[in-house]
Amino acid sequence: MSWSIPLTDVVISEEDVEAVLDCLRSGWLTSGPRTQAFEAALSEHLGGGHAVAVSSGTAALHLACRAIGLGPGDEAIVPAVTFVATAHAVRYCGAEPVLCDVVGGGDLNLDVEDVARRIGPRTRAVLAVHFCGYAAEVEALRALCDERGIALIEDAAQAIDARTTSGRLAGTVGHLGCFSFFSKKQLAVGEGGLVLCADEEPAARCRSLRSHAMTSGTWDRHRGYADTYDIVDIGFNYRIDEGRAALGLSRLPRLEADIEARREHVRAYRERLAGVEGIALCWSDEEVERSSHFAFPVLLPDRPSRDRFREMLAAHGIQTTVYESLTRFSEFAGDGRPTSEVPRAEEMADRHVALPLWAQMSAEQLDAVVAAVREAAGEAV
Amino acid sequence: MTATGSAPQIPLFDLRLEPEDLDAVAQTLRSGWLTMGPRAAAFEEAFAAQLGCRHAVVVSSCTAALHLAYLAAGVGPGDEVIVPSYTFAATANAVLYCDATPVFADVVGPHDLGIDPDDVATRITPRTKAVAAVHFAGYPAAVDRLRALCDAHGLALVEDAAHSPSARLGERKLGTWGLAGCFSFFSNKVLPAGEGGLLATDSDEVSELARRWRSHGMTSGSWERHTRTAGGYDVIGPGLNYRLDEPRCALLLSRLRRLEAEIARRRELVATYRERLSQVPGVIVPYPDEALELSSAYVMAILLEEPDRRPALREALLAGHGIQTSIFYPAVHEFTAYRERFPGVSLPRTEWASRAEVTIPLYPHMTEADQDRVCSAIEGELAA
Repeated sequence: MSWSIPLTDVVISEEDVEAVLDCLRSGWLTSGPRTQAFEAALSEHLGGGHAVAVSSGTAALHLACRAIGLGPGDEAIVPAVTFVATAHAVRYCGAEPVLCDVVGGGDLNLDVEDVARRIGPRTRAVLAVHFCGYAAEVEALRALCDERGIALIEDAAQAIDARTTSGRLAGTVGHLGCFSFFSKKQLAVGEGGLVLCADEEPAARCRSLRSHAMTSGTWDRHRGYADTYDIVDIGFNYRIDEGRAALGLSRLPRLEADIEARREHVRAYRERLAGVEGIALCWSDEEVERSSHFAFPVLLPDRPSRDRFREMLAAHGIQTTVYESLTRFSEFAGDGRPTSEVPRAEEMADRHVALPLWAQMSAEQLDAVVAAVREAAGEAV
Repeated sequence: MTATGSAPQIPLFDLRLEPEDLDAVAQTLRSGWLTMGPRAAAFEEAFAAQLGCRHAVVVSSCTAALHLAYLAAGVGPGDEVIVPSYTFAATANAVLYCDATPVFADVVGPHDLGIDPDDVATRITPRTKAVAAVHFAGYPAAVDRLRALCDAHGLALVEDAAHSPSARLGERKLGTWGLAGCFSFFSNKVLPAGEGGLLATDSDEVSELARRWRSHGMTSGSWERHTRTAGGYDVIGPGLNYRLDEPRCALLLSRLRRLEAEIARRRELVATYRERLSQVPGVIVPYPDEALELSSAYVMAILLEEPDRRPALREALLAGHGIQTSIFYPAVHEFTAYRERFPGVSLPRTEWASRAEVTIPLYPHMTEADQDRVCSAIEGELAA
């Protein structure tokens, strides 16, 4: 049995389909002109910077960590409320993720003061997550990181086109920004990601490590620019193929309109859920205007009521999701160190639930969710 | 070589997609479900049935499959894995991803570019955990002997079958001889989808581990949650994102139906190449003729008796005849990144072959006229 209202939905236009088919007809499927065009378009869209398209947001985070030289013995600060990839990327480099707390009280982003407390002699970087599309306080974090001489990597996997308090685009304030084009994301191509770098040097490292640190690729050799290659580092296969680049390139011009549609739905949700007993909204109206709305989380009073609430919505065929605090997973549990105490992260993770949201969601679907939420909130609490 | 900036008249490989491939991708895109769904499951089932293994796990690349295979073999810090150097670097890189040490073994010789089991045997130490074999160009490495050797020493055999879907040694398909077989669906491969790979295994444990690690160590995926067969998830181990998306799985499923026919056509072309080029003075055509029927005929490799002539030959083929060539492979242990980390490795037969080898154009729809041009150009240039 599937859901009557899914958490999210991806709508691919005929224009998108045609772009992919054009690419397939060309017979060139990897690391070619479409990837280059996608990178150029993303760079322009994101206000400049060097864009390196990769196989996933996870790959982007891994490359960003490698680009700043994160390695064994190092620590990087990661919020406890995020998708696991943020912390895994640190572990891939042999470094240790140090979990930090979130602001709390309806703000699920990392807390700058808590980050500052956790910076130690081994800290090499802070990975700031813009959770659900709401921008974290990256200007303050950048100042903090600059003062301490460490790197700021922005995990903007959920936040392409989100604006920070000073109006800058998420992913462009830190030394490197990482984006995701996974199916559920605002700019969805299936699997895909991007590293955006202000400077050329880390971009060149990411570009090299994305394809086994080979000094030339098949496209260069096909075009006669190179006859063989050297391998100058231990890299990966994190390439995105041409079909996905073509799809992303086709979808990019509609991104702003899609995000505005998501924002309209969020405004409607908030207006109609304000004051419903048992439901608390996250973030402020002002922050809603700056968010790019990957997901719409609300808070229940506690974990048991949240879980009952989800079951009631599921009984109506409405899919919801939650992000556990990383401390709840076997991979990060039992860390046992006092620095891993993240009470607000655990509270926010335990209490939140993300309701259905996608650009093409209909007014009737939103009505049905609101009605079910009102009913379930009364009973669950 | 001149930087011409244009495509060669006869490329090294040329990928063509059929209308049914395009339809399969278009249908998938229109469905709106782009990741880890019914098409991945259908392709895995079809590939496993075709190969004759119990489990097939699609991943983002063969590099990813190798990484997961070594992890499944328990390879970790302090361990050693014996690998060929006559391969693409991924075979060895994936050992380093596990914080283990690749120990290089030599090839048999110019007529068999597979890893030499006798040389492998001399390199086994108490720290050896696994042996990797590459089926070069689609011809079987001696995995029967390697399997016996690995069994005798309690080691895992991992097959890098990037070149060799549907190829055999005896009656048994390559990729089914060891703990895991790793396949590639890169653009220039026998079963291409742009980027992609697959891990084949008969082991339930290996399959389960590969599935979990391909998606972040999560105990359930978004498709299971979408279809309400799973609620939440736990995360065990720092898993990766090695997923393959649905359009590529649809493309692979469509192409898999033509795989045998395309390999048959490749074998015809290779048979012609072998017949013509084995008569050219100065050219060594590796592997015996009878091995071709077991092979997937991925690429056509020749070796020059005088390796010094290779740069001029490749230059003349491209500049004078519009024919693209490549080198399969520069030796991995001779790359800068490996010389820095593992200095002093000496593999004379690998080093000789890596200087002597020239890979010449091969693709299923190659015409007889183009093939004739390639053969005549090589004959003419070497006679000059």
